[in-house]
Amino acid sequence: MYVGVDVGGTYTDAVLLDEKRVLATAKVPTKSDLLGSIIRAIDIVLKDVQKKHIKRIVFSTTIITNLIAEHKYDDVALLLIPGPGLSRSYYNFNAEAVFLSGAIDYRGREIIPLNPVEVKEKLSQIAAKGYKKVGVICKFSTRNTSYEKQVAAMIREKYPEWQVESGSQVAGQLNFPRRVVTTHLTCATREPYSNFAKSVRQALEIREIKADVFILKADGGTLPLQSSEEFPVETIFSGPAASTLGVQALTKPGETAVVVDIGGTTTDLALILGGRPLLSSKGAKVMEQLTQVRTLAVKSVAIGGDSLVVSDGENLIINPERMGSAYCMGGPAPTPTDALRTLGLTSLGDGAKAREAMTRLGNSIGIVCEEVAWRIIKSFVDKVSAEIENIFFEWEQEPAYRVWEVLQKRRIRPELVVGVGGGTPGFINQIAEKIGCKPYIPPYAPVANAIGAAVAKPTMQTSLRADTEQGYYIIQEEGLQEKIEDSSFNESNALELAKKKLIERSSKYGLEVSEEEIEITRQEVFNMIRDWHTTGRLFDITVQTPRGIICRIGAEDTDEQVGR
Amino acid sequence: MNKSADKKTGLVFFPAFDWAISPTHPEREERLLYTRDQIFEEGIMDLPQIEEFTPILATPHDIERVHFCVPRVEDQTTEAHLIAAGAAILLADKVVSGSVKNGFALVRPPGHHAMRVVHGNRGFCNINNEAIMVDYLRHKHAIKRVAIIDTDVHHGDGTQDIFWHDPDVLFISFHQDGRTLYPGTGYANELGGPKAFARTINIPLPPGTTDESLLYVVDNLILPVLKDFNPEFVVNSAGQDNHYSDPLGSMRITAQGYARLTEKLQPDLAVLEGGYAIESALPYVNLAIILALADLDYSGVMEPDYWHGRFKESPERMSHVQRMVEHLMNCWEKRDSTLPGQKRLKGRFFEREKRIFYDTDYIDERQVEKLRLCDECPGYLIIETAANYGRGLSGKALCISVPFGACNNCLDESADFYERAKKKGDIRYVYLQNKSADTFLVFDALSKKEHR
Repeated sequence: MYVGVDVGGTYTDAVLLDEKRVLATAKVPTKSDLLGSIIRAIDIVLKDVQKKHIKRIVFSTTIITNLIAEHKYDDVALLLIPGPGLSRSYYNFNAEAVFLSGAIDYRGREIIPLNPVEVKEKLSQIAAKGYKKVGVICKFSTRNTSYEKQVAAMIREKYPEWQVESGSQVAGQLNFPRRVVTTHLTCATREPYSNFAKSVRQALEIREIKADVFILKADGGTLPLQSSEEFPVETIFSGPAASTLGVQALTKPGETAVVVDIGGTTTDLALILGGRPLLSSKGAKVMEQLTQVRTLAVKSVAIGGDSLVVSDGENLIINPERMGSAYCMGGPAPTPTDALRTLGLTSLGDGAKAREAMTRLGNSIGIVCEEVAWRIIKSFVDKVSAEIENIFFEWEQEPAYRVWEVLQKRRIRPELVVGVGGGTPGFINQIAEKIGCKPYIPPYAPVANAIGAAVAKPTMQTSLRADTEQGYYIIQEEGLQEKIEDSSFNESNALELAKKKLIERSSKYGLEVSEEEIEITRQEVFNMIRDWHTTGRLFDITVQTPRGIICRIGAEDTDEQVGR
Repeated sequence: MNKSADKKTGLVFFPAFDWAISPTHPEREERLLYTRDQIFEEGIMDLPQIEEFTPILATPHDIERVHFCVPRVEDQTTEAHLIAAGAAILLADKVVSGSVKNGFALVRPPGHHAMRVVHGNRGFCNINNEAIMVDYLRHKHAIKRVAIIDTDVHHGDGTQDIFWHDPDVLFISFHQDGRTLYPGTGYANELGGPKAFARTINIPLPPGTTDESLLYVVDNLILPVLKDFNPEFVVNSAGQDNHYSDPLGSMRITAQGYARLTEKLQPDLAVLEGGYAIESALPYVNLAIILALADLDYSGVMEPDYWHGRFKESPERMSHVQRMVEHLMNCWEKRDSTLPGQKRLKGRFFEREKRIFYDTDYIDERQVEKLRLCDECPGYLIIETAANYGRGLSGKALCISVPFGACNNCLDESADFYERAKKKGDIRYVYLQNKSADTFLVFDALSKKEHR
């Protein structure tokens, strides 16, 4: 049996699955004490089962979002080695940034040396200001980790109690500013996140739950709770990923669908293309800062069932803020939920109160309460539909750097609009009609997010960069930089090496993966020609354990099921 | 175009990582790899001042508006060519419609050596990305006056050929002196056809020229001429092989020099041309050009082996350049009072013979080009072309090109001429390209079939 838990802004949901059946569900209000909310939800779904039957528990939590939003961490100092290029005046990292001289180029060549004397001076300055958490980030450190390693070693020697994070290990894509932000957030959140993980483990121990515990990431994969402490930021925004995987588990394989999750304050949108959730080609945006955190292509729109509706004397406007619950549920002000209630599209709350809220809004512009309700719903549906169009447009606009990538671009539109989450049912038909699709509300829609968490699979990836002219390779996730001994090192050697490293790394985290299952997500090979001769090859290879879900809910046995 | 400080710079980055002329050719997959590394690592695509677009394919019709591909467009282009030209078109559309303030098509393959008639690849080029984009703008957006500034180290002979007789397109090319470099043309006396005198301006620079002389040319010739001409749209054919480390050229321009050049020219659209120092120049020059276009501080962009004051201009070179600038400025001022060479006048036509060598494909082409001298419009062109492809193969074609804004008489005459050539049937391919009507006809004398 599997347990999935999704901690949302308003509710914490949990499910208990046995094979392809949902055995129990729970929905409790999320309190500021996240652990308490999680445990309450788990206690409900596990009420009637023996703990020893629970094989695994997967959490999707907002812990990182909360830590960052509430700035519940110690300040971090950033030691940056940018070298020449874009002016530093465009950087804004919201942290103490100290610049060191030194530069590495795109091939990993050291073009300006580090200055150890300067490094020591800058470290004393940071120490004097009381920092104990430091990120070291060098431009092009993914091509040569040595400067980051040297600085980190100097810190460990002089200030062994400091926490140090290296950019190349946290963020392996090319993008220095995003690497800085990702390293900063990792450094900041690691300790409080570890405390949270520890208290989760303790709480489960007290209940004698011995299941494997995983945490959901923004890209829809999971990590064992223990290893997630190395990459805390990757667990951010796992809520939309949970809903998307839930829909994947609740719809037919191969479906192309838009996932619409209307909550109290936000509406989350995601795409499933041919049965697979769409990954964003860029990293997640965290508090207006761009990161390298891999994420599903989800969009959060600041509009929900509890959004405040006001009148400006002529028009009705849905504001992004939430004053409280809907008027018909005892809240202070009119909301889209009141509009649904007025038209009988939901049975939540008190109908008379909903009409009262609509009538009051209508008085200011001289229209009756049903008309007010229709206008609010139309405006809500228009806004969400426009954002859905936008997601598709952005997907079509994803850059293409190869001829075949440009040629395979095509216009795809979904067949289904799948509504999950509490606020969705009243709106889904109209959204579907607006964008020309079929509406679908799957069974267990209110807890689809928790189902998504329960069926999520562990994922690991390994990125190899090899430069045979310079004779070295890097395994980015491990900060490993080694010489290439074999002078005939070729593409299949590179691929083999990447797979081997992935298998080793996975097993270190308790995941068994066979070579045949490994997915290649990037395979770039460039011949280096100098004076008409091949002088070397560049390989960029990324491999990952298979993505997907453990099972579909209610699926027949003949159904496609991946690695159970 | 209208410039607004709060608009973005549009960027299409199309490195064609799966396309090469041949595996070891300078125009190969690897060419923009390190440029990719540099602009991605700097986070350029994330800057609020930059917007990245994915390219589209130019249509065969977009290409036929400019070129006569012998026998047809699909024989002379690959998809990569259509994408490079399509990228330029896409960005030009965005600039003209006002959704971005300017653009950079950082694309390959290049195009500025591709002439009006295309029998094969010359100077790594098959079709002319800038010319296709310019004629698209004139057709689609009714833009009349366009300036193209070619800053590649090689003379932009293809672009020059296409706009030689066009009074509404100003073509200015500076480049390393043709006596020392491919394609061996682009001398100061090449000034355009009888109806477009001084709308072609060439500034051959001596090998070794530095930023200082180059910027002198910009300040004292290019900018004043641009001001007089007052174009609606300015294109920069942004070759990067004037760089001091380029393996093919012998100039000494730096990334900073390229940035200042871009800042001064303020092009609406820059289109990458050549540049083959793929490690030592391109990552830095491209970064510098992008920042300059986006009006961002580029002072921190520097090649690893450069230091301030590394290159000093010699007084001789400087005074040579100054004299040439003075001479060309003089030609420009007399642009409307200079008469065409009398010995090339043949009745109502102005005739010139050309011999064109396709270095990549080893094709030798001979052309007779006749311009109908007309008082009402720029006049239509008749080109008889015969190419020797080697291996005993040859290609002959008759190309008729009717300009934008053609008068009724030229429209009638050119149509008659096309019909007579079809009847005569002695030349395999007969083409009628009508830019005024935006049509293109091709007649195959062997199959007796006409295609549109």
